[in-house]
Amino acid sequence: MAGRLLLRACTTTLQLRSGVLAPLHQTFLLFNFSGIPTDEEQATGLERRTLQALKQGKDPYSILKPKHYAGTKEDPHIVPGIGTKRLVGCLCEEDNTAIVWFWLHEGEAQRCPSCGSHYKLVHHELPH
Amino acid sequence: MAHQVHAYHMVDPSPWPLTGAVGALLLTSGLAIWMHFHSMTLLTLGLILLLLTMYQWWRDIVREGTFQGHHTPPVQKGLRYGMILFITSEVFFFLGFFWAFYHSSLAPTPELGGCWPPTGITPLDPFEVPLLNTAVLLASGVTVTWAHHSIMQGHRKEAIQSLTLTILLGFYFTFLQAMEYYEAPFTIADGVYGSTFFVATGFHGLHVIIGSTFLAICLLRQVLHHFTSEHHFGFEAAAWYWHFVDVVWLFLYISIYWWGSCLSSVERMPVISAHPVLV
Repeated sequence: MAGRLLLRACTTTLQLRSGVLAPLHQTFLLFNFSGIPTDEEQATGLERRTLQALKQGKDPYSILKPKHYAGTKEDPHIVPGIGTKRLVGCLCEEDNTAIVWFWLHEGEAQRCPSCGSHYKLVHHELPH
Repeated sequence: MAHQVHAYHMVDPSPWPLTGAVGALLLTSGLAIWMHFHSMTLLTLGLILLLLTMYQWWRDIVREGTFQGHHTPPVQKGLRYGMILFITSEVFFFLGFFWAFYHSSLAPTPELGGCWPPTGITPLDPFEVPLLNTAVLLASGVTVTWAHHSIMQGHRKEAIQSLTLTILLGFYFTFLQAMEYYEAPFTIADGVYGSTFFVATGFHGLHVIIGSTFLAICLLRQVLHHFTSEHHFGFEAAAWYWHFVDVVWLFLYISIYWWGSCLSSVERMPVISAHPVLV
């Protein structure tokens, strides 16, 4: 009888460990019940907004390098802005030490006064 | 609520830089007053002000980062650069003391007997407590790495255990070193040997205490759920500082304790004068 009880105990434990509890265990891992929160659970404020936006492929706080454009009339540099104008600094050629600064206004694309690259201001809403 | 379009942290006005500066002024002038006029008032005042400043300034940083979310990835990157630059400055600080040690020990003067260790100095056996201290610090480097991986993998209990163990090892080192200081057969006043030994190892011991304190703060913060498995830079900074302290010890051990204790009999022979004296 003791032998049968032992056998029952062993098989039950094995069943519990492999079959029944496995999906529950995975749920625990997903919600990190081993005690340390993830950024998803605990990040707050600007950090949270930044991380959530980056996860969706958006970059409202200009953390990443701007996308590369050809700078031609057909493919102008897209400059995000929250107002009606934004300062642009054009590094006409790589390793240039003099930056060409100019105001980019909303409307038609403007050209850099030095190298002629096209820039277009695109309106973005202020991130909340 | 004002909305910014960048990810940086424009900090609110704070009184702590001013109180810190005043504290530093009182500490330094207080030190001078204590040395000349035996009064400790200014020194004590400066120390209290400095400690209060550190407590409140760092408390505010924890509030800004952990509770208010101001430490975005770019801000964190800046903090990382800051810690690395600070540790680099500390490396140069210790480099000075190693320079002093090697200056005096590589070409020992006639006043020392022309040998290193100088005549009359019985150095500590590097294979006794100093070797144990080396093992203790190396082990603490392992436990702090264990703590880091525990945090990254989300294991709260293990993180707390390994971080506690790291701190205990740090305390053990300090205790052992204090015993060594008490029992040492030479003092800081024993020529350049005493000076180089106690100033270099003394500053190292101070850094062990600072590092242990930093780790203890991290333990408290970990218990209070401040860290996430991805964002725990305070802990990483403490771990970097701790590894730095460990590496400085390794250099101290090799240079001062080991090389500096058992130079060959050639160096221990007295220098032969160009004009021998007939007895």
